[in-house]
Amino acid sequence: MNLNCMGETPNQLALRGVLSEIARIPLWINSLASGYAIPDDVQLAINLCLEEVVSNVIRHGYCGEANRSVLIRFSNPRERYFVFTVEDEAPHFDPLIAPELPEISPRESIRIGGQGIRFLRRFTDALEYEPTPIGNRLSMGFSAGTSESPENA
Amino acid sequence: MAISTEDVTSGITKVIVGGRLDIDGAAALDLQMNVIAASQKAVLVDLRDVSYLGSMGLRSLVAPARAIKSRGGKMVLLGPNEFVGKVLKASGVDALIPVHYELQSALDALQ
Repeated sequence: MNLNCMGETPNQLALRGVLSEIARIPLWINSLASGYAIPDDVQLAINLCLEEVVSNVIRHGYCGEANRSVLIRFSNPRERYFVFTVEDEAPHFDPLIAPELPEISPRESIRIGGQGIRFLRRFTDALEYEPTPIGNRLSMGFSAGTSESPENA
Repeated sequence: MAISTEDVTSGITKVIVGGRLDIDGAAALDLQMNVIAASQKAVLVDLRDVSYLGSMGLRSLVAPARAIKSRGGKMVLLGPNEFVGKVLKASGVDALIPVHYELQSALDALQ
């Protein structure tokens, strides 16, 4: 399956492998928000986590190969619970077993996406990873009950 | 992203930021903060009207804060909302750049 062949639907967003595509994420989330009653604070958490995951894929997984794609799917399996699944074509990488980088120190430079794993664990209510034949699939669950979960901390 | 600056008092420069500190907002902030960080020693960044902060926005805050500190100056943040505050805390940036929720305490910290 080539992600480039996936059609774009309201519940699915296909991004090219360039960082500027990240700007499309909040617009898409906003388009889902009214139809699915996603609260503002949850939208922000979703935006933050998707921005981190996608930027990490593009920077580290694709290493500047703009002809690659990242596919984000949305589902609403139950009331007030939203799942966003990111699929890519990058080398296998399981963020759930990756150690968190140390918090920013006075001498460390900040990298785009450098806080991704920490943000995922603190701003999602559920995380699920599986490798695919061509890359990775990461699912993130967000509950409208809270936008920051101690369970994933 | 809306950005404005004003000289408050006693050599303190206040940078008022509004909107989203995402990839585009961060780029806009970088332009102004680079100039300010090179010339000012006491900087207050007012985040009260910032609705979103991501990694790119964090970098736009940390880089000038370090530059100001390296020149013997100080930078503080004012009034992040709940979400922005959580991002600052989760990333550890609140330990690098003092965060204040009252204008006077932020100004006092820069004296």
